[in-house]
Amino acid sequence: MKDFLNLKSVKVLIAVLAILTVISILGAMGNPWVSSAFNFLTKGLSSVTSNLTEGQKSYDELKAENEKLKSETADLRSQLVDYYDIKSENARLWKYYQLKKTNPDYELMPASVIRRDTNEEFYAFTIDAGSSTGISVLDPVLTENGVIGFVSSVNASSSKVTTILSPDFQAGAVDKKTNDSGVVSGSAIHGGDNCATFTKIDANSNVKKGDIVVTSGIGGIYPADLILGKVSEIKYDEYDATKYAVVRSYEDIKNVTDVVVLTDFKNKGEVKDKGAE
Amino acid sequence: MERRYTAFRYTAYALELLLLFILQTTPRLFPEIFGSKPLFLLPAALTISFLESEIPALFFGMAGGIMLDLGYSDNIGFFAFTLTVSCFFISLIFRDYFVVSFLNATAFTAIFSAGLIVIYYLFFHVFAGKGNSLFYFFEHYFSRITLTIIVGILLYYLNKFLFRSLRDH
Repeated sequence: MKDFLNLKSVKVLIAVLAILTVISILGAMGNPWVSSAFNFLTKGLSSVTSNLTEGQKSYDELKAENEKLKSETADLRSQLVDYYDIKSENARLWKYYQLKKTNPDYELMPASVIRRDTNEEFYAFTIDAGSSTGISVLDPVLTENGVIGFVSSVNASSSKVTTILSPDFQAGAVDKKTNDSGVVSGSAIHGGDNCATFTKIDANSNVKKGDIVVTSGIGGIYPADLILGKVSEIKYDEYDATKYAVVRSYEDIKNVTDVVVLTDFKNKGEVKDKGAE
Repeated sequence: MERRYTAFRYTAYALELLLLFILQTTPRLFPEIFGSKPLFLLPAALTISFLESEIPALFFGMAGGIMLDLGYSDNIGFFAFTLTVSCFFISLIFRDYFVVSFLNATAFTAIFSAGLIVIYYLFFHVFAGKGNSLFYFFEHYFSRITLTIIVGILLYYLNKFLFRSLRDH
């Protein structure tokens, strides 16, 4: 044993583990400089590769645009590149215009999905915007089809998003039709089907298939009336027989490419009294 | 001349890990099969350790582990530690007790890949209280483990090819 510990390679191993421990502790204390540096270095690469795989439609559009550009004169070419960049950005922002128009207090930050790790549970992903653009932990993440998750960690140039399909997601919710309230959360059973669960609803509630479930605004993390999904099934827990509803998100969360982060809104952080609502 | 070949080989391993990181983390680049995708970096680091001595093995294990951790969280942790230690000891074991062959490599890749993924599942799903653990294991983790082992066989041949082609003469 003593001979083994005296091996040069064992000393190297111990040194490496000590360094990893220090980096890990610093990261856990809120100083993830290794991941920040790594994300900074790989962000460009991830953006390029994720753009390359943005689906056949995008590729065709780009190809068509490319052919069109080729037919233009050299002088117009650079202007057209700028024009299409702006057009694409406008198309992306237009989807959120209505949301902003009806809720002028919303501060929205558009972002693109740059990374989805194989090992990540419940389809969490990384977006290309971080604290430098005003994003902070627990900010709601939306698409034009409703809430799809929240920011679970953030560094300067990127953020991790935990989706509505994860059990870590919890949001006070209301059935828009019947006004029954409860909590929407992800679940291991339904996550793979792009569904969350609407739990803690009253046994005599009138929640039924087809109802739209929205955020209640209780808790101060999500503003009221953001769409969470549509009730696709009413079920009973196999252990305690409590009633719950399966809520299907309107967004295809596994394949979402563009999102918007709600960085600020009126009454953010204010916990409302459930009874008062 | 000898050092030049070694440097080329290590560069090839590093590029391989980087490419696998991209393959693993880029959305829609690799399709889901039976509800899951393989962990490319895990068997890549393990198969390198079959062929290399313990110090390079531990560094490639560490690099693969850090990439695995940072791919989905903001901090290094589980895979950085376990893969560094695993690769170090696998290298030592192969140097002294095993011949690098298809059967040995497949057996070690299967045991270590499955072992590390199951430990990860226990810590980050079962003990984390995410619920419906058994269902989730068979729905996602089982196929992830199987696919990772299959990928491991392909990576074994790739790394063996790199090792033989860029070996010191």
